[in-house]
Amino acid sequence: MKRLLILALTMNFLMLPVETFAQAFKTESGTVEFLSKASLNEFTGVSNTLNGLVDLDKNMFDFFIDLNTIKTGIGLRDKHMRENYLETKKFPFAEFTGKIDALPNLTKGQSQNVTAKGKFKIHGVEREISVPGKLTMVSENEMKLEAKFKVMLSDYNIDIPTVVFYELSEEQVVTIEAILKKK
Amino acid sequence: MNLRYLFLLAGFVFTFPVFGQLERKLASEKQDVDLIFHAPRHINLLTVEPLDKKALHFAIMHTFGTLDGGIQELWGLDNGANIQFSFEYALSDKFSLGAARQGLDKVYNIYGRYHLLKQTQDNQMPFSLSLMGGAAVNTSNYEFLQNDAPDFIERTSYAFQVMAARKFNEKLSVQISPMLAYFVDPNPIFFIEGDQNLYLALGFSGKYKVTGKSSLTLQWIPNLNNDLRNNVGFGIDLEAGGHVFQMYFVTSQFLNEQYLLAGGNGTLGDEFRIGFNVNRIFATGRKKRMQ
Repeated sequence: MKRLLILALTMNFLMLPVETFAQAFKTESGTVEFLSKASLNEFTGVSNTLNGLVDLDKNMFDFFIDLNTIKTGIGLRDKHMRENYLETKKFPFAEFTGKIDALPNLTKGQSQNVTAKGKFKIHGVEREISVPGKLTMVSENEMKLEAKFKVMLSDYNIDIPTVVFYELSEEQVVTIEAILKKK
Repeated sequence: MNLRYLFLLAGFVFTFPVFGQLERKLASEKQDVDLIFHAPRHINLLTVEPLDKKALHFAIMHTFGTLDGGIQELWGLDNGANIQFSFEYALSDKFSLGAARQGLDKVYNIYGRYHLLKQTQDNQMPFSLSLMGGAAVNTSNYEFLQNDAPDFIERTSYAFQVMAARKFNEKLSVQISPMLAYFVDPNPIFFIEGDQNLYLALGFSGKYKVTGKSSLTLQWIPNLNNDLRNNVGFGIDLEAGGHVFQMYFVTSQFLNEQYLLAGGNGTLGDEFRIGFNVNRIFATGRKKRMQ
C-alpha cells in the first residue's frame, strides 16, 4: 500500500509542469473583437476578457473567452446573440488550443510573424484552423500578441436569420490583441 | 484494494494541469437570465422584460370584432379595431416611463415600470419581479350629457400590478401578475361592463418556445372581486430581428390595463377576437464601444 502511495505521489511530481524556468505568458484581459460586415449593416462586438496562455517551452497556445461578455452596443442585439445564435447557456466559451509553426526567439523590442495551428471551438463545434499572427516582445516580461482570422458561421452550425434588421454577415472577422505577462 | 484506485485516481486528478490548458471559467456566475419573454408586452399584459437604458419600446396593438360573425364579417375584422399605441422609454436599466392611447373611450394612460429583481442563471435569484403603476384619463366627448357629463377627475382610472416571472428552462416561462384597477366613477357611459370602483385580478402569462424565434403564448386573468367573465387569450409570438409580432385570440377587446379588468369579456369560443401586436425596440444613445 505504501509503495502505491509513493508511486502516486511520484507520478504527481513527475507530471507537474516545471514552472520555474518556463517561458510561459498569461493574460486575463485580452481584447477580442469581431466585425460583421453585411450589405445592409456593419457592426462590431467587443470583449476585454480574453484569457490566454502562451507557453513557449511546450509550444502551447491556449485561449478562451466567455461569450457572455461580448457587447455590440445594443443590449437587445446582445441578448438575441446570446440566446438565438451563440446559445451561450449551452456553449459559453469560444476556445483555441494549438501550437505555432516556428518558435520565436525574441529579445526586447523584436517581433515575429507566426502561424498558429490548432483546434478552435465555438457553439459546440470544433474545427482545425490556422491563424496568422504576430508576437512582439514589449519588455522582458511582456509579450504582445496580435492575430486576425475569419470565422464562417455556417462552419459552426450558427444559423443566419433571413429577416434581421441588423443584418448579420456569414463571415465574421475576428481580431485579437493581448499583452501577456510572464508567469 | 479500493485505496489503490483512490491513490491512482488522486494521482491523475492532481496532475490534471499537466495538460496545461487554462481552466475554462465564466467571467461572471451571476449572469442575468435573458429574454424571459420576447417583448415588454405579452398578449395584453406587460411583462418583466426590461428595456436597456435609453431604449424606446413602441407597441401597436389591435383587437377586432368577435369571431361569431363568421366569414360574412371576416371573423370580426370588418367590425373595426380597437387600437392602442404605446411608447415606453427607459430612463435607466431598471425604470421606464410609458404613454399609451387606446382608441375605445380615447383613453390616455401614463405608466411606469420598475424592475426590482432579476432572475439569474445561477438561480441565486430564482425569478424576476417588476412593478407597474399607471394613471389614465378618458377623453371621449360627453358634451351631449350636458350637466351630467363626467368631470376630469371622474374620467380618471388607475392601475397597479406586480409582475413575477420565471424562465423555467429554455422553452417555458411563466408570469403571475396580481393586478388592481380603480375607476373614480365607473360611469355606465364608459365602455366598461363593471359597475364597481375597484377591480382585483390575477394575471397568468405563459410562453412556450417552439423554435428559436417563435413561441406559443397563453393568458388567463381570473377576476377576484367581481362576477365579470375572466379574460382568456392564446396565440403565437414571432421574433423577426428587431420586431416581435404577436398574434392571438382573446376574449376582451380592451388593451389598456384598467379597461382589461373592468371591461368584461366575451364567452369562450364564439366571442373570441383576433388580436395583433407589433413590438419594436429602438436603441437610441448607443454605447460607444470600448477600444
